[in-house]
This record gives sequence, C-alpha cells and structure tokens, in this order.
Amino acid sequence: MNEPTVKLLGVTKRIGGKTLVDKVSFEVPKGEVFGFLGPNGAGKTTTIRMMVGLMSMTEGDVLIEGKSIRSEFEAAVRHVGAIVENPEFYKYLSGYNNLVHYARMFPGGISRQRIMEVVRLVGLENRIHDKVKRYSLGMRQRLGVAQALLHKPSLLILDEPTNGLDPAGIRELRDYLRKLAHEGNISVVVSSHLLSEMELMCDRIGIIQNGRLVDVRTMSDFVNAGESSRYLFEVNDPAGAKEAITLAREAQMTPEGIEVTAEREEVAELTAALIRAGIRVYGIRPVTKSLEDKFLEMTGSDRIA
Amino acid sequence: MLNLIRNENMKTYRRFRTWIMVLLLIGIVGFGAYQINHFRPDPANWKQESAETIKNYKSALNDNPSMQNRNYFEERIKLEEYRLEHDLIPPDNTLWGSVLDMSDLIVLVTIFTVVVAADSVAGEFTQGTVKMLLIRPHSRNKVLLSKYLSSLLFSLFLLIVLFGASYGFGGLFSGFDSASLPHLSVGSDGAVHESNMIVHTLSIYGLSCVNLLMTVTLAFMISTLFRSNSLAIALSIVVLLLSNTAIHLLKGYSWIKYYLFANTDLTQYLNDAPLRDDMTLTFSILVLVGYFIVMNLLTWTLFKKRDVAA
Repeated sequence: MNEPTVKLLGVTKRIGGKTLVDKVSFEVPKGEVFGFLGPNGAGKTTTIRMMVGLMSMTEGDVLIEGKSIRSEFEAAVRHVGAIVENPEFYKYLSGYNNLVHYARMFPGGISRQRIMEVVRLVGLENRIHDKVKRYSLGMRQRLGVAQALLHKPSLLILDEPTNGLDPAGIRELRDYLRKLAHEGNISVVVSSHLLSEMELMCDRIGIIQNGRLVDVRTMSDFVNAGESSRYLFEVNDPAGAKEAITLAREAQMTPEGIEVTAEREEVAELTAALIRAGIRVYGIRPVTKSLEDKFLEMTGSDRIA
Repeated sequence: MLNLIRNENMKTYRRFRTWIMVLLLIGIVGFGAYQINHFRPDPANWKQESAETIKNYKSALNDNPSMQNRNYFEERIKLEEYRLEHDLIPPDNTLWGSVLDMSDLIVLVTIFTVVVAADSVAGEFTQGTVKMLLIRPHSRNKVLLSKYLSSLLFSLFLLIVLFGASYGFGGLFSGFDSASLPHLSVGSDGAVHESNMIVHTLSIYGLSCVNLLMTVTLAFMISTLFRSNSLAIALSIVVLLLSNTAIHLLKGYSWIKYYLFANTDLTQYLNDAPLRDDMTLTFSILVLVGYFIVMNLLTWTLFKKRDVAA
C-alpha cells in the first residue's frame, strides 16, 4: 500500500568537472513531510530542479508515482505541484488569470470552482483579481502555494516556502502542510534553511552537504539522539554552585548558572545539595540541543562549498 | 495544444503594450491615408490625364524605337487604353491607392511581431516564469510550438488590422464607390485581364509575409539562444532594416546570394529584376527553406536540451 510517491535513485549532476549533486537517493512515502536541509550551495535547489525536470541529470533517475521524470516526463510531472525558489508570475495579469493560465495546462482542465477553492484556501479571495504587480512578497508566496495545489498533486515540492511570509502566514502554511500530508495522503518535500521551521514541519529530514546526502533521520531521532539528559541550574553564584556539587560530579559553568549531566532522580538530590550549600536556585531545566545546533554540528558551518 | 495557444494569447493581449502597438499601427495608417488623399491628383480629371499618359508614351516609343524597356511602355499603354474604354478609374485615385501604398507598412507589422515573439520566449526567462511554465504536463516542444504559432497569429491579427485600417481610412478619404474596382494586368498572351482587387492585395501581402516569417523565426532563434529579449529585438530589427542597404552595397560579391535577406523579397522575380543574374526563384526558395529548417532546428534543440537554472 505505502508505495513511495517519489523515489530518487542515485541522482547525479556534473557540470564540467564539478559534481554538484552526487548519487543522492531517498524516497518519500505517502503522507510524509520530508525536509531537505543543507547550507547554501549544497545542491538542494539543483536536486529539486532535477526532480521536476527543469535540469537534466547526468546519472540516476527520479520516479514519481512510478513514472520516470526522464523518459515519461508528462506522466510523471502531472502528479507534482511545485514552487522552485521564489514563485514568479506574469505581473501584468491578475492573480486569478495567472491561476487560469496554469489550470489550462492540465489535461482535462480544472474547474472555476476548484480555482476559487484554492484561492480561499490560501486566503487571497479579496485580492485575487488585482494585478500581481500589486502583490506583496507574502501574497505572491500564497499565490505560489495556490498554483502548486491547483491540480491536487500527490507530491508537493516547496523550495524555501516560508520565504517572505509573516509569522502568522508561516504558522498557517505549516499547519496546512501537515494537514495535507496526514489527511490528504500526499507527500511533501520542503527545503529550507530556516531550521527551526523544519523542526516543526517535517517528519523526516535529509541533510545534504557538498552535493552528498549525508544523513536521513526522523525528526524525533534527530532531536533526541545521543542526548544524555543534561540540566541547567540557574543560580545566583555559579562558581559556588560548581564547588558545592563538584565532589559529586563534573559541572560546567555557564553565564546563567551551571550545566550538569544527570539522571532524573539525581536532579532532586543535586538541588538539595545546592540549597544546603546556601546557593539560591532560580530554575532547573533540561537542555536539548535545537536542530540548528545539531545541524551546525553536522555540517561544520554555513560555509559555501 | 489549443489551451497552450490560448495561454500565449492571453499573455499577449492582456498587455497594455500590445494595444499601444495596434493603436500606433492604426494611427500611422490614418495619417498616411490622409496624406495620400491630400496630394493625389483630382479624380475628376483622370480620363484627361490617362489620355495624356498614352500620348506621351506613344511619342516616346516613336522617337526612340530601340529603347530598352519597350515592353513596359507598351503594357502601360494597353492598360490605360483599357481603362478609358471600360471607364475604370486608376486605383491610385481611389481607396485602393491607400490599401496598396499602405502594404509597405508590413515592415511595421514585422517589427511589432518580432517584439512579441522575442518577448514570448526570452521574457519567460527574464521574469523567471519559465520554471513555473515547464513543470506542467506538456513537453517543451509543445510549449515552444504554442509560442511560435501564437506569435504568427499575432502577426496575422496585425495584418488584418492593417488591411482593415487602410481600407477604412482609404474609403473615408476617397469614398467607397470604387470598392469593386478590378485589378488590371497584361497577361503573357498580350491581352489585358481583369482580376479581383482583394485577391491582388492578398498576393502582395502574401509575398511580404515571406520576409515577416523569416524575420520572426530569426528573432525566435536569437531569443532562445541568448534568453534576452532586448538583444533579440534589437538584433532582428537591425538586420531587417540594414539588410536592404547592405545587399545593394555587396551585390557584387557572389556569396551575397546565400544571405537570408537577399532572398526574402520574391517580388524581384515577378518584376524580372533579380538582385544578381545568377539568382532564380527556385534558388531563393531553396535558400529560404534551408534557413527556415536550420533556424528552427537550432531553436528547438536548444530549448529542449538546456537546463533551466535561472
């Protein structure tokens, strides 16, 4: 039943002697939001362009609903809705006419009702008959989502979708994508370098660096893996606190207080020890590394390869 | 395919620019027709003038029996005599004068079509919309063909506007009463033939369309090659406008006969005055077909193979 919507099979792109994307393989099952993460220039956009047939690949293939984008382009791409980088529109046409333009390109056509349904979905109904040149970046982004959803695709590919959206818009999009994926049973591939966004949006994440897919993990693995519980004690006197518990274990000073690796039960004992030593404890909280920390840890830094 | 062409048409006709071009065309025709009407001889005197022409030509022929273009004068005399005999006013004095003179404006139609055609390919690249366009279930071939056809439809539309406007303004200034005037020509049998004036006009339009088609194809190719509309427009127009001068300067060299725009004017064979003596109608048609195939092949292969990275 759960045949993957999209399968990348050793996708490679070489231009001249330079390998931009090197044997990238992954698959996205139905109902999953897959995050595609990597520093600038790592090959995210190139991979996405190959997935939708805008760029040819040197080796490998992409199968969408079992159809090859190379040899059966039309059959494969009809299942795809996409925004590649910033959505661009015909500025002298109204938003509605832009949608009509793309609607006409689907065999069998798309009804007026469906167009308006999508317009309401992205919340553009009041401005849809304005010319696109009068749209803000956020409105164009919404129109971009609308054109991608028009034909009810089974694979949605969004390159940096939250670019230019205000926080409310980002939240809306995020909730909508998750809903689409989990209820509508479609697969979503999102690339972004807003790492905190990925954390909230994706079920699985693939990290690409220098054209190679270095890791694919589920979100929860990602955040929790290898994390022995570490706690931060906020205190008035870090140095004193460190001394007070240093007999028991190794502690690290931070500006706010001290950080200690401990089991849950030990936290209570350590607190008691601190209080006995006359240290004021303002707060105790577990320290989890954010995705951003993880990401930087894995890729070194945001260097352009 | 039909939907793709509808899309291209929507992108053309929903632009302000397009209607400026149409208005400009109509305006120039109107102004031109007014000027022609202003400076034309009084139609009431045409019989007298016609008789005078006959007399002048006859005396010229008598004075100089060995003159080179005898044929031309003899034909003119036959036509004028036929006119007088059948009471057919010369077209220069009627709305047809405006229609025939204004057919020179097909060059303007060509330029406008070049602008639209060049922008229809390169514009998608400069606006960035090409990446939205090419991820739909249509092959690149079909997308490009729809653009090509839509550009040609646009030129057809402008030609109809040109014909309509020159006919309308011509009638406005000279009256519509000569609308059914026949076109006169001397056939190979030496007799004067009447034919439909509209058919005659269409044949003039048709011959000019060779030039139009080749220029638009050239603009299409440059626009796909360089993905820059300004370059495609500028280059095509420069080539179009400078070709005539260049051809006449260079007609001493034999290679000039392989140059595209030395062959686009097929009227040179109808008037029996080819650019070079070694050029024939068949030769020109072969050259034109060759250019057409090569330019389209280049355009199509490039558009199909190239990565869209912009």
